[in-house]
Amino acid sequence: MDFFEPRINADNAPFWEGCKAHELRFQRCKRCGKVRWPAAYLCPECLSEDTEWVTLPNRGTLYSYVVMQKPFHPSLAEKVPYVIAEVDLAEGVRITTNMFDCDVSALKCGGEVAIDFLDSETYSRPIAIWKGASE
Amino acid sequence: MILDQLKNQFAIVGVGYTPQGKIPNRTAVSFHIQAVKAALEDAGINKSEIDALYVYRHFDPISGDYDTTAFTVAEQLGVRPSVIGQETYCTRGWLYNGIGLLASGLARYVVISYGDNARSGRRSFVKELAGGKATDDLAAFGDLSTMAKYSMQARHAMDTYGTGPDVWKEIAIAERQWACLNPIAGMYGKPLDDEGYFSASMVAEPLRLLDATPNSDGGRAIVLTTVERAKSLGHPYAVIRGFGSANQPVLPLKICVDDPNAAAKVASAKAFSMAGITHADVDACELYDCFTYTVEATLRDYGFFRPEECRDFLRREHIGPGGSLPVNTSGGMLSEAYFMGMTPISEAVMQLTGRCGDRQLGKLPGTKTPSIIVCSDNGAVFQSHICLVLERGE
Repeated sequence: MDFFEPRINADNAPFWEGCKAHELRFQRCKRCGKVRWPAAYLCPECLSEDTEWVTLPNRGTLYSYVVMQKPFHPSLAEKVPYVIAEVDLAEGVRITTNMFDCDVSALKCGGEVAIDFLDSETYSRPIAIWKGASE
Repeated sequence: MILDQLKNQFAIVGVGYTPQGKIPNRTAVSFHIQAVKAALEDAGINKSEIDALYVYRHFDPISGDYDTTAFTVAEQLGVRPSVIGQETYCTRGWLYNGIGLLASGLARYVVISYGDNARSGRRSFVKELAGGKATDDLAAFGDLSTMAKYSMQARHAMDTYGTGPDVWKEIAIAERQWACLNPIAGMYGKPLDDEGYFSASMVAEPLRLLDATPNSDGGRAIVLTTVERAKSLGHPYAVIRGFGSANQPVLPLKICVDDPNAAAKVASAKAFSMAGITHADVDACELYDCFTYTVEATLRDYGFFRPEECRDFLRREHIGPGGSLPVNTSGGMLSEAYFMGMTPISEAVMQLTGRCGDRQLGKLPGTKTPSIIVCSDNGAVFQSHICLVLERGE
């Protein structure tokens, strides 16, 4: 399930390197401890430049999801329907991803997902596997 | 408190309309300047009195148009304002900018205009791709539309508060009912029923085609000034009894349905507080409705109903013609025309100044003459918000 190549730049390159290693890596501010995404040069909480990259667990909860039924680009005509998901990871980080190989009718906001990765020729990207609704 | 001093000091004294809907063979800028000319005539002022001009938005030129900038609009109007600006990328700065200029005396009249040939030119609002290449992360996940981002919030609201298509249907149908009273509305003569709504195809599920505002050709403009000047013009106007602006300038990814700092919540709290009103005082709402769900989110964030009361509140009998809280009486962007914040705000002024023909509140059976109308302008994915409390001015 490949869409367009991500746009990789000086701020976010380590995230995409982490994806190649099947890891979710984000910046943590060494001054105040806030973990941030999207990648940014300064901490949006305290504006410190003192940063380290940390790895978060490959799991989260589903904030929400959308089933794309119509293609918004000709190249997507064969891919619909597909599911875009927003997943809340640890440390207040939320990522955009896709549900992979799921029964759409089983999805529920707030449910548990596991994060895996899809490898393409030049990059890897996270995908979400449905693990079930919470209580 | 500074905000209290700004209450009832400013007014909207003119609104300008152009031909609208499907109007081929027109440039985008031609609609801007036609709308401004009409607004100036409506206000009764000379173009030389425009001290500030803000134009919506910066769009990629289509149909052979040149790039339409604030400079272009000013040049073609033959005006030389001290301030020109453009609401690029869906920021909504025109209100505080305009009010600040008026309050300081730096501007006599502030004009805001919208113009586009989006329908005939077949504008696409996909920003996540430029020339087939991703502009950010999202294209890598097939997330290529504003609609998908609104739909994401709508789904979360569904699973959390029990809303859904059968609620949004009521919004779509109510606005269509209003449009059927408005001869210049794009959907005039095209009523919508339950079957019609549900037969529309899902686009970014749970949102359907009929949950989304279609494109329009045309323009709309308004003229802002002080109440003192408004009185001197000698015709009815709308007083800005209260106003508020706020941003939640995070990525759409980080927008949360229950965010206590949601831009609409913060902006409306300021506006209602300045105006000194409660929800019971509001006679009608003219709300930015890029999607049906946007109307629900706005009324909810403004505090008109608790989130789980959406089903009881959002019924066509309540918000449509004859209802006790009319919403989007021109048909809104969904059913009248897509001119962003200018659509709801101009309609509020027209209602307050008694110029709405068959859809006039107070003349239409089952409605009352409006004194206070609440308006919204919303930018991007709930990221920028203006709330206006307008009152009939004498």
